[in-house]
Amino acid sequence: MQALIERIGRSVGGVVGTLFQAGRDAVDLCLKTIIPFMAFVTFVIGLILETGVGDLIANGIKGFASSLGGLMIVCIICAIPILSPLLGPGAVIAQIVGVLVGTEIGRGNIDVSMALPALFAINPQVGCDFVPVGLALGEAEPETVEVGVPAVLTSRMITGPISVVVGYLFALGL
Amino acid sequence: MDALVAGAEAFIQVFRTAADVFVGFTTGIIPIVVVFLTAVNAVVKFIGEERVEGFAKWASQEGWMYVPVRYTLLAFVAVFMLTNPVCYTFGTFLPEKNKPAFYDAAVSFVHPITGIFPHANGGELFVWLGIAAGVEMVAPDMVTALAVRYLLAGLVVILIRGIVTDIIFSMMWKSRQGGAA
Repeated sequence: MQALIERIGRSVGGVVGTLFQAGRDAVDLCLKTIIPFMAFVTFVIGLILETGVGDLIANGIKGFASSLGGLMIVCIICAIPILSPLLGPGAVIAQIVGVLVGTEIGRGNIDVSMALPALFAINPQVGCDFVPVGLALGEAEPETVEVGVPAVLTSRMITGPISVVVGYLFALGL
Repeated sequence: MDALVAGAEAFIQVFRTAADVFVGFTTGIIPIVVVFLTAVNAVVKFIGEERVEGFAKWASQEGWMYVPVRYTLLAFVAVFMLTNPVCYTFGTFLPEKNKPAFYDAAVSFVHPITGIFPHANGGELFVWLGIAAGVEMVAPDMVTALAVRYLLAGLVVILIRGIVTDIIFSMMWKSRQGGAA
């Protein structure tokens, strides 16, 4: 009898403990990563909405982000193997450009149908800074890393523009 | 004097607007992200690492019929269960020649997944949220549909990336071996 109670107690404790830890991890991530970035992002949005900076950026972005061809150009530039590792870290650039494009969509300067292709166009450099580390995490041999890094970077030149087209096709009928 | 007041007014207005947006994000995004993160974190822990690894071993087999499994399903499960950046450790189970392609597929999925499963990459939510916030302003009922399409399009894109990177890697590998010999 006592053993039974002990076992129930222990498993309930285990479940509650896991849930509590999950909640703690969630709040931790929010406080340490999401909210700080949110503060920064909302400041940028405020700046765009309330000052002339917004119109300047809008004119710059609009030409590129309101047509498929323009998005292609952005994407190809971001995917250039020399630039892509520089643009990659922490996805900071992609997030800022995302906010800029998003704000222009919100103001009605860019059509909503461009949202999905834009999500891919601003991000062909994803993870390009991280290839050696990512491969090392997968326990790749040094030779694999040596060839793998240029392989991934080169591949992005091809798959970047393709991803914009895929995004465009998936946005049809939205 | 009036000009000064107007200037101050315009200056503070930037922060008022920013604060309004911040409050909107805080009430609109944070609660759902916290609850969702908690739930998924718990689920991931209950399922346990061994079971996920068992699946990874199955999905990592050689052969062309495993290509879609490897570069969509395996990448999805890796990013969903292990999240960025631990997901790349799944490369361990793969043959050496497929590791770069798998990395490419997995890393390309860490943003498309955040529209629906923000826990997978909580630190980089604003690629999606930045655009989604704009869509929310003009067409609020479209945001979820857009998130679903972003996820699906992401799966197609990572499959293409996996295949293309595989081809390029094997070409570069061969020319390198040829040059060395």
